[in-house]
Amino acid sequence: MDLLLQSLVNGLSIGSVYAIFALGYTLVFSILGIINFAHGAVFTLGAYFTYFLIGGQNNGTGLLAGAQLPFGLPFPVAIILGGALAGLVSVGLERVAFRPLRARGADPLLALVSSLGAGLVIVNLVQYLIGAEILSYPTNVYGHWAEQHPSLNLGTASFPIQIRTVQVIIFGVSLVILLALLYLINRTKMGKAMQAVAENPTTASLLGVSTDRVILFTFLLSGLLAGISGTLVATSFSISGPYFGLAYGLKGLAVIVLGGLGDIGGAVLGGFVLGLAEALVPGEYTAYKDAVAFLLLFLILMLRPQGLLGRRLIQKV
Amino acid sequence: MEAFFQTYGFLLVYMCLQALLGLSTYLPLMAGQLSLASSGFYAIGGYVAAILSTQVFHTSGAYPIGYLLLETLLAGLLSGVVAVVVGIPALRLRGIYLALATIAMVEILRVVSLNLSITGGAVGIFGIAQPFSSPLGYMWLVGPLLLLVMFFAYRLEGSRIGRAFIALREDELAADAMGINPTYHKVLAFALGAMLAGVVGAISAHFLNTWNARQGTFDVSIAVLAYVLIGGSRSFAGPVLGGMVLTALPEVLRPLKDLRFIVDGLLLMLAAIYLPQGLANPNWLARRKTAPVREKT
Amino acid sequence: MSLLEVSHMSRRFGGLVAVNDVSLSVQEGEIFGLIGPNGAGKTTLFNLITGLTSPSSGNLHYQGQDITRLPPFRIAALGLARTFQNIRLFGNLSALENIRIAHHIHTKTGVWAGVLGLPAARAEQVGVERQAWALLERVGLQGRAFERAKNLSYGDQRRLEIARALALRPKVLLLDEPAAGMNSAEKATLSGFIRQVRGEFGLTIILIEHHVPLVMGLCDRIAVLNFGQMIALGSPQKVANDPAVIEAYLGVET
Ligand SMILES: Nc1ncnc2c1ncn2[C@@H]1O[C@H](COP(=O)(O)OP(=O)(O)O)[C@@H](O)[C@H]1O
Ligand SMILES: [Mg+2]
Repeated sequence: MDLLLQSLVNGLSIGSVYAIFALGYTLVFSILGIINFAHGAVFTLGAYFTYFLIGGQNNGTGLLAGAQLPFGLPFPVAIILGGALAGLVSVGLERVAFRPLRARGADPLLALVSSLGAGLVIVNLVQYLIGAEILSYPTNVYGHWAEQHPSLNLGTASFPIQIRTVQVIIFGVSLVILLALLYLINRTKMGKAMQAVAENPTTASLLGVSTDRVILFTFLLSGLLAGISGTLVATSFSISGPYFGLAYGLKGLAVIVLGGLGDIGGAVLGGFVLGLAEALVPGEYTAYKDAVAFLLLFLILMLRPQGLLGRRLIQKV
Repeated sequence: MEAFFQTYGFLLVYMCLQALLGLSTYLPLMAGQLSLASSGFYAIGGYVAAILSTQVFHTSGAYPIGYLLLETLLAGLLSGVVAVVVGIPALRLRGIYLALATIAMVEILRVVSLNLSITGGAVGIFGIAQPFSSPLGYMWLVGPLLLLVMFFAYRLEGSRIGRAFIALREDELAADAMGINPTYHKVLAFALGAMLAGVVGAISAHFLNTWNARQGTFDVSIAVLAYVLIGGSRSFAGPVLGGMVLTALPEVLRPLKDLRFIVDGLLLMLAAIYLPQGLANPNWLARRKTAPVREKT
Repeated sequence: MSLLEVSHMSRRFGGLVAVNDVSLSVQEGEIFGLIGPNGAGKTTLFNLITGLTSPSSGNLHYQGQDITRLPPFRIAALGLARTFQNIRLFGNLSALENIRIAHHIHTKTGVWAGVLGLPAARAEQVGVERQAWALLERVGLQGRAFERAKNLSYGDQRRLEIARALALRPKVLLLDEPAAGMNSAEKATLSGFIRQVRGEFGLTIILIEHHVPLVMGLCDRIAVLNFGQMIALGSPQKVANDPAVIEAYLGVET
């Protein structure tokens, strides 16, 4: 029972990271109707950016072997700055990989390939400059106290629920980001403009919404979310190399379809569903844990392709 | 000349194999179905060959070609059966949704093959017997196969079933109203592509000498899709050209050393943006055959 | 017995009842007109008959056979062919190819016979080629055979779509606003053409049309839809003098 609760709390924690990562995906889809396959690469970049911003040294054997910034920022500043840099990269991607296609009204499938090419460029650039080695964050990124208490008991002495402290912190941080995001989307002018463009770009531009600015902002936000979630995952495990984000990129697809492609609430729900489902895989089957996302993806597509929260679309003849 | 074949024998065979994989994705696309499942069937085919040749057929010396052909046959059949079973429910989905379902299938197959003992788990299966004494020897098998499949695709485009495929690609609903059974033809196109991918997998397992879960991944799916889109998706020549060019590219870029994969990604991106019709654009041919295109009235 | 029997068919889209309890029967060989204001449910009724939309309730019988739940391709194979209000040709393909495709149900070449060019497949191909050209000629498009359908003029596209439907050798031809966008001379030609093909191909025709003179002159019987309901049915004279029709339909027009 305590083990089950432990798994559930862990599932919520990883689910919250899936949720903010997938939100970045789904925001772009809701605005442009395309899937940005470079999103996983931006996630990777975020983790690297933050690592260097806190003064981490490159243990890799790439061109910049041994390199280190001459300063180290406090982690809370670094993660935001790292996310912002990832956001800028994402905006750059929009410029080079998406905008030319959009300008021509090209088949959305081509955006899939061009964003994939862009993702390959990023991943291989990281490999070239940094190297393929694992980079680990120092154990004290979340402060001295967290380092001294690597796990917390959320239960009682007789009924222990042991959770890694970093999981609890990640959960807290993700929740704060989720709430901020919901506020941004539902309460601010830019958020409303985003919703308007997602609903109908033509009407939105007639109403005076600048579609270009909304798209730019969406990519910035999407990259920021990817970068921060990349950092969070890296502090919990490590940066496993340039391909760090690939698996998350693919699982993120499962998350956004699970909730309903392009649906913001759906991405959050999907993230938690996946996190919990993975956490509930019995111990003897952990090797199959990575298949859970895709099993869910396949099932939802067979049973309810519009996703848990999506509306059913009727084709007009 | 001989030195060239010595050096590039492996690459030449590999280019043909990748061109065949491109065709395996082109077949369902001909019927309007964007499937990324080729790499999954490729993996299945490879495992069929790897398991049969290392555990079932015990031979010594050069591996008999007959056994290899039997393996390809079985690999093709198994892939075809899996395609029908998966395809009937999955092909109700359209566009990106179908693509996502096929990605899910590929990833599930990958995780399962990582964990089964018959597929050799994470290390895979090695020491797969060689029917030919050099990589270039495979050309005797792969060359004719590529020509046959190209002939098949070319003739299919002008035949009754191929027309039904193309009608579905152009407008599924109108095709349905014209008496074309959408499910049947979509599953058929999907299964034909799957069988081809299975056959290519079986040959590739021998050619590469080893087979593991890294052979059938999302990356491979996307690489193959890129062959079709960059080569051109509206005629069989597209995937063949795309498969060959994109496979040769890292080799051509070899002087760039470690930078070549970066340039590879860059070229993929640029091609998607600036060659929207692909390298093999049937319009260029069509223009000559028919009356000049008049302005819209 | 009637050829096509629509009984109590309804179709809802959310709260909207696009077709509301419509019953009618079409006799063999007649030209049956379907009129009504925009949004009355005429196209939806066509979609119900051809299986493109499934009914919320009601039944559909063709030659005594229940075809209510059959998929579109089966209904087409039984002999009901149609055109679309918003033309749905295979736009990137040539005019000729559009018609070749529509021979699908009358041919049986499989994958291998087609690819290998076996004698039976070749013979079939020759037949399709001959009939396709004959149909193109019948609608006067033989000179545009290799033109992409989407590059044809609007009128030519309408005619090509009719030719494509005729390639199915249907018993019933359903035409959804075939004269839309034509000038009055073209409309007169079309009207003559429809009458001719009925005779030539032994067709029963169901026709949706807005242009009242055309419908009145062409149709043997007319049904009037308004807000999904059938408000009148009968000969053109009877329908034209029906007070409900005058109010609902003509009232809107003027
Ligand atoms: N697929 C659909 N989904 C939702 N509403 C539809 C659909 N098809 C038709 N309608 C609605 O049903 C009504 C009837 O449409 P239609 O049959 O096209 O009318 P008509 O052909 O008589 O002009 C219209 O209000 C239309 O908006
Ligand atoms: Mg209509």
